[in-house]
Amino acid sequence: MKHSLPIKLLAYAAATLVSVFFVFPYLWMVSASFKSTEAILTRPLQLIPDVISFKAYESLAIMSGIPLSTYVWNSLWITFASTIFTLVTTAFGAYALYRAPKLPGFNILRVGFLLVIMYPYMLLILPVYLVMFKLGLLGTMTGIILFLSVGPIQFFLFEQFFRSIPHEVIEAAQMDNASEAKILLRVVAPMSRPVVMTVTLITILLNWAQWFPVLVISRSTDTYTLPVALLSLNSELGVNFQGIMALATLTTAPVVVIYLLTQKYVIEGMISGAVKG
Amino acid sequence: MSTLTAVGNHLTLRFGKNGIFYLFAAPFAILTIVMGLWPIALSIQTSFTDSYTALSPQPTYVGFSNYIKIFNDPVFLKSAYLTVRYTLLAVVANLTIALFYAMFLSSTILSRGAWIFKLCCFLPVVTPDVAGYIVWKWMYSNDFGAVNAILGAIGLPEFAGVSSPSSVTAAILIAEMWYHIGFYVVIFLANFAMLDKSLDDAAQMDNAGFWRKFTRVTLPQLRPAITINSIYALIQFLKTFTVIVVVTKGGPGTSTNFVSYYAYRQFDQAQYGEATAMATVLFATIMLLAFGLYWFNQRKDWR
Repeated sequence: MKHSLPIKLLAYAAATLVSVFFVFPYLWMVSASFKSTEAILTRPLQLIPDVISFKAYESLAIMSGIPLSTYVWNSLWITFASTIFTLVTTAFGAYALYRAPKLPGFNILRVGFLLVIMYPYMLLILPVYLVMFKLGLLGTMTGIILFLSVGPIQFFLFEQFFRSIPHEVIEAAQMDNASEAKILLRVVAPMSRPVVMTVTLITILLNWAQWFPVLVISRSTDTYTLPVALLSLNSELGVNFQGIMALATLTTAPVVVIYLLTQKYVIEGMISGAVKG
Repeated sequence: MSTLTAVGNHLTLRFGKNGIFYLFAAPFAILTIVMGLWPIALSIQTSFTDSYTALSPQPTYVGFSNYIKIFNDPVFLKSAYLTVRYTLLAVVANLTIALFYAMFLSSTILSRGAWIFKLCCFLPVVTPDVAGYIVWKWMYSNDFGAVNAILGAIGLPEFAGVSSPSSVTAAILIAEMWYHIGFYVVIFLANFAMLDKSLDDAAQMDNAGFWRKFTRVTLPQLRPAITINSIYALIQFLKTFTVIVVVTKGGPGTSTNFVSYYAYRQFDQAQYGEATAMATVLFATIMLLAFGLYWFNQRKDWR
């Protein structure tokens, strides 16, 4: 179908306008983090300030008595460790449930897992507090990392991938009398590179953003991550608006960079994980 | 690898050739039980105990009295009503807009560059929600927020945003739409890419109007995306929480005091029995809805 030029221009203008709705909050946030108070009050829509101020970032150096680097380190470590742990548990779990669905107990495990992901996540964390207390993991990084490692999307992505492997490939290996460990490591693992890549990216993005489990399991600011530090800065009485925007920028920037570099994997991965679930 | 083989051999001897799969599934099973099923069981158990004794080694069991209590609590009833109303509003608004936006993005008018628009609308989905909602909270600010500055610049009346009970629902609806809708749009886009073009042409030949073509040809083919999106959106908005914690704290008054936030507040104030009863009610609702929708969509022929 041919469309006339004015209609095309109109369509692109409309799509651009909608896209501005999605992108504008980021621009406003970054811009506010570099603005002076006077500029914020008098020119709220000016995106490139006349004078660029780094004061807001300097004010973040120490928050509630803790250096910014601690929050950054917590975020990095918790994201890294929980991503590895999610990958290992969901990959092996999905593989086992795919290869031997009829083993006693496996069906119960699948139903149990489905129940867990249907439970309102925010409300699951409250009893998790009690579990952490009983296990002595309250206020520890280990507790936070373990809880963040329960991964529904990740499980479905792996399961979907394993189902797509042609049966002949595994049967051929079985004919050669290869052990199950060998089939997994020599046959299935090399094929899994793309799905592992996708799941890794998605898990990094999801776990970086987590805040409620971190807040509930923490006993002090020592184990706070960037989003939790941001939340507590935002609820402080004396409002440091530019500081909040600066910390929001620092929290958001890494995921935006990762997303822009790997958008295809991220979008397709999140969608196929959802479609399966 | 050699240890793995050794353990594998041992399990094989014990359980037959599939024994090693127990080893593979073990970490997953432990995590699911310890971080999922156990807390859920604890939560349900707590909902049958007296709040004052809930955390003690020997809690007092009180039967369904927590459930009776919450269903006689006017704040909870209002909260349930607000949650349902908001969920319906949000689901309909998000899915309708997402559907038409996806249709627009996949149309031939935008022959080139549609991927950039898709990229933009999915960006908030991967952004940490706390950061996104905090920015929205300040954008709604009546003093220097961007929303009113823009409205003022194009000559529109001021938007009270989250400061007034009459506009707060719309305000958080917009913020949540900004955050979630990209996901629904992309699911619809994937479905649009699979549409049967020949049916479209046939409808064209029959001179079917836009609306007729849309309801008779396009919509039935979008059934997979509509199913997934409606289940996701229903669950998503029934659980609305982060935006409330960050932006409104349930207010102004109790106008955004949704169930998950109210339950959290109750838990925070040591009303463990009532809080977990609310959680259980929400859980049961979500489960019924998810299964019901799934079943409905599996059976009903839309054409």
